[in-house]
Amino acid sequence: MTTVPASPAAGGAIRHRLTRLDWSERLLGFGLLAPAFVLLATVIVYPVAVLLTTSLYRVDQGTPAGRAPFVGFENYLDAFADGRFWTSTLNTVIYTVVTVPGALLVGLGLALLANLPFRIKWPVRLGLLLPWALPVVFAGLIFRWFFEYRQGIVNDVIVRLGFEAPQWLSSPKLAFVAICLAIIWKSSSFVALVLLAGLQSIPRSLYEAAEVDGATRWQQFIEITLPMLRPAIVVALIFRTITAIQTFDIPYAMTGGGPGDSTETLAMYIHKTTIDFLDFGYGSALATIMFIVSAVATSFYLRHTQRDRPTRKPA
Amino acid sequence: MSGFDFNRRRWVWLAALVVAGNGFFPALWILFTSLKTEGELMRYPITYLPAMPTLSNYVRAFTDQPLWLFAVNSLIVATLSTVLTVVVSAFAAYALTRLRLPYRNLILQCLLAVAMFPLIALLVPLFQTMRGFGLLNTYLALILPYTVLSLPVCTLVLASFFQDIPMDLENAAMIDGCTRLGALFRVVVPLSAPGVFTAAILSFVNAWDEFLLALTLNSRLTMRTLPVGITLYQGEFAFPWPIISAALIVAIVPIAILIAVFQERVVSGLTAGGVKG
Repeated sequence: MTTVPASPAAGGAIRHRLTRLDWSERLLGFGLLAPAFVLLATVIVYPVAVLLTTSLYRVDQGTPAGRAPFVGFENYLDAFADGRFWTSTLNTVIYTVVTVPGALLVGLGLALLANLPFRIKWPVRLGLLLPWALPVVFAGLIFRWFFEYRQGIVNDVIVRLGFEAPQWLSSPKLAFVAICLAIIWKSSSFVALVLLAGLQSIPRSLYEAAEVDGATRWQQFIEITLPMLRPAIVVALIFRTITAIQTFDIPYAMTGGGPGDSTETLAMYIHKTTIDFLDFGYGSALATIMFIVSAVATSFYLRHTQRDRPTRKPA
Repeated sequence: MSGFDFNRRRWVWLAALVVAGNGFFPALWILFTSLKTEGELMRYPITYLPAMPTLSNYVRAFTDQPLWLFAVNSLIVATLSTVLTVVVSAFAAYALTRLRLPYRNLILQCLLAVAMFPLIALLVPLFQTMRGFGLLNTYLALILPYTVLSLPVCTLVLASFFQDIPMDLENAAMIDGCTRLGALFRVVVPLSAPGVFTAAILSFVNAWDEFLLALTLNSRLTMRTLPVGITLYQGEFAFPWPIISAALIVAIVPIAILIAVFQERVVSGLTAGGVKG
């Protein structure tokens, strides 16, 4: 009540017009948002409701969905007592802990190399884009071929160097290493592209000033490049983490989870439980646990993008 | 100084070779494999370049499995979901950037948070839902989730472009008799053509590459997409690598051409906030 319009009548008329305009705009706005909301409701919100409900019932091959008994949190308790659940979860965690920093380091290296002044830019740019654009499962297949015992190029190089060729994909530990290498190769190019954009947005004047002050290359890297790159690194890290939690395609293509269950991820176990064993209730409980882990990572992501999104405007 | 420059140029060359080699080598190796005969592949130690290049593996790739059908399925699913994604996210981006809506930021946050949901965790209920609607083994079963998969990044990309178009242009169009929707399609979208392009390519690549949902929701052979179809060449024990390699090359070429032609757009879209790993 601090500002009183000079003429109440005129003010009222303007306000009246604004409200009508507001209403038509709101109507249009929500009309335009409706398709997105309908899609999200059908593909995400409704399935989430189904997921949470199903996880509380015993829905498997023997009990059709209509007559499934309510079992409360039994499926969850089963999960915590299930060795295979823990193995696959632990594997997922190890993949994440190894490949996220791994892809970051390799991606940073690639980005620094790609940031050099090339006269012809397309081979380097395409070299970063191709691994990103490739279906993940293709990367898995290709690396399976690389790590083939007799005809794989990896063992060929190892033998030529005078070492004994290992059985990569039939030893649990080595299969793990091979899968991690494939994931790092596949995902580092995405990291490199994000970091490259970050590198290119650092003003050259900072380096020129540092050079005048007599800073070495290394000092420039530590004092200018890394701090200026922080927002891009955060975005790349969080995106990688969210996708790493869902790792499926590469181990599926390379080992199918074997030997035994030694390279199986949680996503693969969920897939097997539901699609192969048709145990929907238990699979839903596993998926809910995965969802909670992802939700934590997502909220972390959203909190950070508020503060540092690298480039708002793609140009 | 000239000696230093020469060295420096050589380092730059080496750097280019490392980055390009890292990206191209796997595809190149697959190409070599696809051109080798079965006999050459059994040789030990292995050969690098195909001694007697043959296209017979490509013929086998098309006859052993319905590779054409996989490609057509992939093309239909990716194209339709791209069109749907661009239209839906253009509507959403317009509403969120150009209209005075209450709780704009909250709506955007909700949209992003919901759409960031890991579709893998929804594998079970999506399967049940699609089965309930009788949508298993249909294009729609994949088009709907793929659209949601690309919705957040496309909305962000388009919103950032829409924001930069002066409101005056739109007002002028409306004074000339355009409706609000008319202004969106005649002014805002054409002026944001690069953004629309970027969004379209990103959602196309996302849909073209997706594996797990395609594997689960469309299990009938005639409804398989390329990423899933290519895993079907393996026998129970044998892996016909030259044929798989040929099929891989067939599947890689379209997407490689697409990103080669539109590389700048793809890069700018990726850096708008990141897409996938």
